[in-house]
Parts: sequence; C-alpha cells; structure tokens
Amino acid sequence: MRHIGLTAILASMLAVSVARADTIRIGAILPLTGPGALIGTQQMRGIQFAIDQANAKGGVRGNKIEVVFEDNQAKPDQSILSFNKLTDLQHLQVIFTAYSGPSLAMAPLATRKKVLLVNAGAQADKLATASPYLINTLPTIGDEIAVISKYLAGEGKKKAVILYENDAAGISGRDDYVDAFPKVGGTIAAQEPTQFGQTDFRPALLKLADAKPEVMLVSITAALDNMAQQYKQLGLTFTVAGTTFFQDPDVIKDPAAEGFVHTQIRIEAPPELAAEFKAKFGVEMEFFVRQYYNASQILMTAMDKLLADGKPITGENMHDVIFQIRKFQGLIPLEFKTNTATVPLDINMMHDGRDETIKKMNTD
Amino acid sequence: MDFWLSYATLAAIYVLLGLSTNLLVGIAGIFSVSQAAVFGVGAYIVSYLLMNDLTTFLPAMLVAAAFCVVLNVLVTLPALRVSGDYFVVTSFGIQLLATAIFTNWTAGTGGANGLPGIPPADLFGKTLDTSSDLVMLSVAAMVLGCIAFWLIMRAPFGRLLRAIREDELAVAAAGKNVLRAKVSAAALAGAFAGSAGGLYATFLSFIDPSSFDLDASILLLTMVVVGGARTLAGSIIGPFLLLALPQVLSLIDIPTTIAAAARQLIYGVLLIAFMLFRPQGLAGEKL
Amino acid sequence: MLALQLLFNGLATGCALGVVAVTFSLVYSTTKLFHVAHAGVYTLGGYLAWSLSIHGAPFVVAFLVAIVVCAGVGALIQALLYARLEHRHATHLVILIASLGTLAVMQNIIAAVYSPNILQFSLPWASTVVAGGGSIRLTVIQVLIVVASVAAYGGLMWFAHRTILGKQMRAVASNPFLAEITRLRPRRVHVYVMAIASAVVSVPGVLVPVDLGLQPYNGVTPLLTATIAMIAGGVGSITGAFVLAIAIAELQNLSLLIIPGEWSIGITFFIFLVFMLFRPTGLFAAAR
Repeated sequence: MRHIGLTAILASMLAVSVARADTIRIGAILPLTGPGALIGTQQMRGIQFAIDQANAKGGVRGNKIEVVFEDNQAKPDQSILSFNKLTDLQHLQVIFTAYSGPSLAMAPLATRKKVLLVNAGAQADKLATASPYLINTLPTIGDEIAVISKYLAGEGKKKAVILYENDAAGISGRDDYVDAFPKVGGTIAAQEPTQFGQTDFRPALLKLADAKPEVMLVSITAALDNMAQQYKQLGLTFTVAGTTFFQDPDVIKDPAAEGFVHTQIRIEAPPELAAEFKAKFGVEMEFFVRQYYNASQILMTAMDKLLADGKPITGENMHDVIFQIRKFQGLIPLEFKTNTATVPLDINMMHDGRDETIKKMNTD
Repeated sequence: MDFWLSYATLAAIYVLLGLSTNLLVGIAGIFSVSQAAVFGVGAYIVSYLLMNDLTTFLPAMLVAAAFCVVLNVLVTLPALRVSGDYFVVTSFGIQLLATAIFTNWTAGTGGANGLPGIPPADLFGKTLDTSSDLVMLSVAAMVLGCIAFWLIMRAPFGRLLRAIREDELAVAAAGKNVLRAKVSAAALAGAFAGSAGGLYATFLSFIDPSSFDLDASILLLTMVVVGGARTLAGSIIGPFLLLALPQVLSLIDIPTTIAAAARQLIYGVLLIAFMLFRPQGLAGEKL
Repeated sequence: MLALQLLFNGLATGCALGVVAVTFSLVYSTTKLFHVAHAGVYTLGGYLAWSLSIHGAPFVVAFLVAIVVCAGVGALIQALLYARLEHRHATHLVILIASLGTLAVMQNIIAAVYSPNILQFSLPWASTVVAGGGSIRLTVIQVLIVVASVAAYGGLMWFAHRTILGKQMRAVASNPFLAEITRLRPRRVHVYVMAIASAVVSVPGVLVPVDLGLQPYNGVTPLLTATIAMIAGGVGSITGAFVLAIAIAELQNLSLLIIPGEWSIGITFFIFLVFMLFRPTGLFAAAR
C-alpha cells in the first residue's frame, strides 16, 4: 500500500516537474534595421546576453527562456503588425519595446489585450501614461530635462537656444525644455529642428549661434558626433547641454565635444560583466545594452516570484507582481512608484576623452 | 486569428491603392511615385475629422476622397501639359514635399509624433473595432472599388483610356480630349487612394509620416508591376502577394539585421525582373 | 556674419549638387532616359572609397578606385539593362521603373552589407578649418568639394565641346535617328556617356560623405534637387544645370534666415512647380 502511495507521489512530482520545464517565451519588437538599428542592436544584445546567462544557469525555476525578436525599423505601423503577430500567433504575454513612436502606437493594444510592454529605451513624456500595461524602466525625458535645467541655471547659463530632432523623442524634449527652462529663470531665444538621420548641422548651428546664447539645449538622438565636429569647426563656444542621449562613445572620445554637459542615467556594469559581454559580442557594453539587460533582470525576477507562487505567466500577472515587488536591484537600483521607474541621475561632463560625473542627483 | 484578419484587412486596403496606382500608372501611363502621399492625405483627413468629432465615418471618407480627387487633378494638370518625363520629377517632388509637410506641420498632422488614438470607424451607429468587423469593412470597400473599376473600364471612358495607351496621337487626331481623359483617370485614382487612407487610419488607430513615404510609393508601384498593369486581377493579386512577402521572408532564416533591406531589395529585383522578362506582370497587360 | 557663412556653406553644397546635376543632364540629354539609378551610383562611390580608406588605403587610391568602379557599374547598367529594354522597344515608363528597381537594389545591397547606420571616414585632415577671411570658417573638405566640382564641370564642358567623343555625344543627343544612319553607333555612345557620367558623379559621391558621413538612402534627395536644377537650367545646357544647382543650394541655405529650417526642401520643390508652370524650358535652354 505504502509502496503505491510513494510511487504515486513520485510520479506526480515527476509529472509536475516535467510539466514545469516549459520554455518561457517573451517577445521583443526593436529597430533592427533602419536609422535606429545602432540602438536596436544594442538593445537586442542586452536582452540576449541576460537571457543566455540565465539559461546557462538553468533558466527561471528550471524553465528556459526564449526571446522572439521582431524588426520594426522604428516604424509604428510595423510595430502594430508585429505586436498582433506575437500575441495572436505566438501567444506571447510579455514584449520588449523601444522608441517612442512605436511604443505609443502599441500601448492601446497592450491595454486591450493585457500584454505587458516593457520599455527600457524610449523617453517621450506621453509614455508615462500611455497604458497601464506599459512600464518604463527609465525616466521620461521631462524628468531629465528638469534636472539639467536646474543645473544650468545654477551655473548662471540663462539664455538658451534649442536644437531638436523632428520626431517623437526630439519634439518631446523640445517641449520639455520650453517648459522647464523658464521655470528656473532662463529664456529660450531660438529653436531649430533637424531631421532624424540628417548629418549637416551647419545651417542650424549658425542660425542658433546668431541668437548669441549662453547654452544650446540639445534634443537629438542620431549623428551627435557630426554635430559636435561641426560645432567645433564653426568655432562656436557656448555651452552644449543634453540628456542621456549624449552618451555616445564616439562623441565622448572626440575632442570636439570637450565641455559638453548632460544628465546621465546612472547604470553601471561591474567590470567582470562588461568583460564577459565584450568577449561574447566583441563590443563594449553600451548604455542601451545595460538598460535592456537590466530590464531583462527585472522581468526574470518577476517571473521567478510568479512561478514561486504557482501563478501562470500572463501579462496581467506580470504587471501585478512588478508593482508588488516595486523595488528592483539589477544593474541599477530602481523603484516603480508609477509606471515609470525612479532612478538616480548624474550630471556628466565630457573632458579629455572621458565622460566624468560632476554631480549626483535623483529624478524625484 | 487576429493576425490573419489583420493581413486580410491590410491587403484589402492595399487593393484599393493598387487600383489607384493602376489607374494612374498602368492605364493613364503616368509614372507616379506619389500615390503614398495621396494615401497619407486621405488618412490624415479622416483622422482629423474623426478625432475632433467633426463628422462620422462615411462623411469623413467622402471628404477625404473628394479632397484627394482635387489634389491629384491639381498635381497632374500642369505636368501633363509639358511632358511625361517631367512628371517624374514632379511626382518625386510631391512625394518628398508631402512627407515634409506630414513631418513638420505638427498642428495639422501631429508631426513626427503622428496621431495616436484615432477612433474606430462607425457605420450606421455601430462601432467597428473588432478584427472581424474591420476585415468585413475593408473587404466590402475593396469589393465596391473593384466593381467600380470594372464598370469604368467597360464604359466608353475606359475604352478611351485604353485607346490613349495604344496610340495617343491617333486619339488626339480623332478629336478626343486626351488631356481631360488622363486627368480624369488621375482624379479617380485620387478617390481610391484617399478612401484607402481613411480605412487605414481607422484600422491602425495610429498613423505617422513613415507609412506614407517614398518607400511606400515604391511598394505600390511594385504591386502593380508584379500583379499586372491595367487589369482588375492584377490590382488584387499584387497587393495580396506582396503583403505576404514579409511573412514568407520571416520563415526563412534571414538575419534580423538585414531583414528590412532584404525586403526592399526583393521589391527592387522584382521590378527589374518583371520589366525585363514579364512587363505585363502576372495577370496584366503590357505596360 | 551669418549670411556670409551660410553663403559659403551653400557654395560647397551647391557645387557638389552641380556635378550631380551636370552628370544626370549628360545622361538624360543623350539617352533621353530618366536614370534615377544615378543616385545609387552616387551612393556606391562613397561606400567603396570608405571601405578602402578604412582598411588603410591612401585616400587618393580609394578615390580613384571608386571612380573606376562607378564608371564600370554605370556602363553595365546601360549595356545590360537599358540597352536590352530599348532593343525590345520598351516604353520610357518601363525603363523608368526598371531604373527605380535598380536604385532600390543598389541602396539595399549597400544597406545590407554596410548596415544602415551612419558611417564616417576617419581623415583628420578633412575637418581642419581653413579660416577664410574674418569670421568665415570652412573646412578643407568643403574647399576641396568646391575645387573638385568646378574642375569636374570644366572637364565636362571641355569634353563635350572639344573632343570627338563629346561631339559624337552631342550629335546623338540632338538627332538619334540621323546618328543611327550615319553610323555614329548611338548604342556605344550611350555606354560611354553612362560610364563618364557615373565616373564623374562619384567625385561628389566620395567627397561629400567625407564631410557628412555615409547613409545608404541618402542619394535620392540630392538627385531630385539636381534634376530640378537641370530642368530649371534648361535640358541640354551643362552650364545651366551647374549654375542652377548652386542657386538652389544657396536659396535653401539663405532661406534659413527667414523661414524655419524644415521647410527649405519644400522651397526647392515649390520653385520647381513655379518653373513648370511658367517656364518649362528652363533658363538656359539650348536652342532647338
């Protein structure tokens, strides 16, 4: 009798553990081609790196994780088609996203289908309230701009001009500067737009320089090095200020960028991790790699808790458990008081080929 | 299920665009890479009207179609007076100008941010926002468009357009107003494209300039070339085939980093190959 | 002074644009084909030079290789594609679409091989500033673009008017039928024209990216602006195309003084429409 009972228990345990060894599948809709590809590739690697590491250790509670990548070329309509494909055909419940335009486009669908959208790269302000199912693991650009404006006013730079990219992210930044800078006692003397992917900044720089500013507030995400070089070639001397977008290794190395200041989301990788990444992919562990690695860690922590509680991994459950856990300790400590994480921010200045922190602040 | 319905809805919308491009390029013989711009104008108009609660869906569509008719007429009229080749530059120019306006006129089009939250279409009081509703609406529009196209082609006007294609000089010598016929074809093309735009906007609930750029116009041209010029069958086959292409490609193991370039590359190859070896496309007549 | 600096910047951009316009005009007036794939050749030149330069080749070598390869590519497109289509009496529409397809193929092969990201040359001498009188600041590469472009224009003018091949080209252009009969072999002339035009367009094709970086899809807008310059300057007039290209570039730059930057492209096409309506034959049209 006892014999059968034990066998039964063993069998059921085996069945449960075999049933438990499913692959957890999550999605990622990123710009793998097109002008956003530089960033999208970083993001993809960040996710891949984190997942591969976890899988090497057996996955989350014995379950391997698989990521299904889709290329959206940073286009919102492509994103929607990919989103439908991943949720309908593949029944995925958690999807990484990037870039403001696509994220905003998918947000209503995420709400309707109760799929968790995880953004670790886009910063347009509208993202904060676009959907209860859209979580942002980094602050919106408005938060960063409030910080840099305060810093600049404190340094006595009150007369500003704005150079911004004519797309969702750039315009959002421009609007924030227009809003925040006067609040700290500054004035905006002029603004000039450029196109995403444009590399000739000379006319715009000249026009802005004509307004004789003390500081140029920058809200662009591409071709930053071209801008820096042309700024130097034209012999301009006013301060150049920006946000985390400035963190481009080519720009930091370039002597033309000497003195550029910017807010920087503080996210560091321990040297062993950075070395491991470099060995695997052949490049440095850049900002977006770290962001998405960090976001992957957050997801895996959440999944771990869900599985520990015996709950299935659905969009709704993931959403709830993330807000339950609230504080996460991955590459950076962050807290979800709202859909958008609060993180530590630094003010950095580019000097001598390095990006040095000159002040530490926070986004609340 | 949702995914297949999305595909069918999108294909139906692109059939309307295919009919539009076919009228312009295949039948009137006007090289056009600006149909995506007209598509965009239709989309933005319907979106604006619906988002600001100015009209309901059907009237919005009519306004968009009418506007696009006028737009196409204004655009083709001066160019046709000069020479076919000059229209090429005009067409490129209009496409680029339209993209510039879509991206920069933030007040009207939402600029580069696009317009999120476009309300779904409503028909006779019923809101159409499920996938099955949308596919029925689009297919219904597609069928209407096809019937209209077929009737036009069989009418004297259609025969006139055919004749112009064969021998423009002879037709002019016979006293027919060639210019008026071409402009009318362009006008009709505008109506089709504008309506497609309205459907697209309500389907996606979000539009932005990137859906209406030069690449989109090239895709439309490819659809007509592959499907076949000047025929109804060609206008249907082209879109369905070419929209399936990205899905087919995703089954082959192309590295994701080159997927989009690969797709555009295939469109280019298709254009060359068909022009070299089968200018009439799969189901059309010689261009 | 802002206006003066903008003027000089416009000169550099305009001269580069002028070469694109002149070479496109060469092809169009001789073959009557709207060779949109020209934008692809323009782009290809830059990438080829970059590949060689990045792997250590001296810039001059990279430049020359790019020119030669582009000449070859242009000739191939004519011989294998356009000539074949013309032989079948294909309509201009068909050839135009084939050219568009070729453009798409070229741009996307480049994008697939080199990635769509912005690539930079690493030539420190290029961005050295050559202070030109007072507050005007131009870089070496900007000056080089002006010099090379004017030289290219001069070279083409000399070629068209002083060499036998050049005269043959103009003969074929003005009367293809007669050319056929008098054994001028227009087919072969077409190949030469395409080769020369493609070779010369790689001059700005290489130099401009040294200044502004490489992107696969960057060729279309300059080509369109160049065709407008060609039409506004008068088809068949090399000088007209060159001068109008500079004029358009200046207009785009100087218009910044009064209107927001994003509309400067719109201005170009608006001007074109004006020309289309009132003076379609252009300013310097060759007498016909």
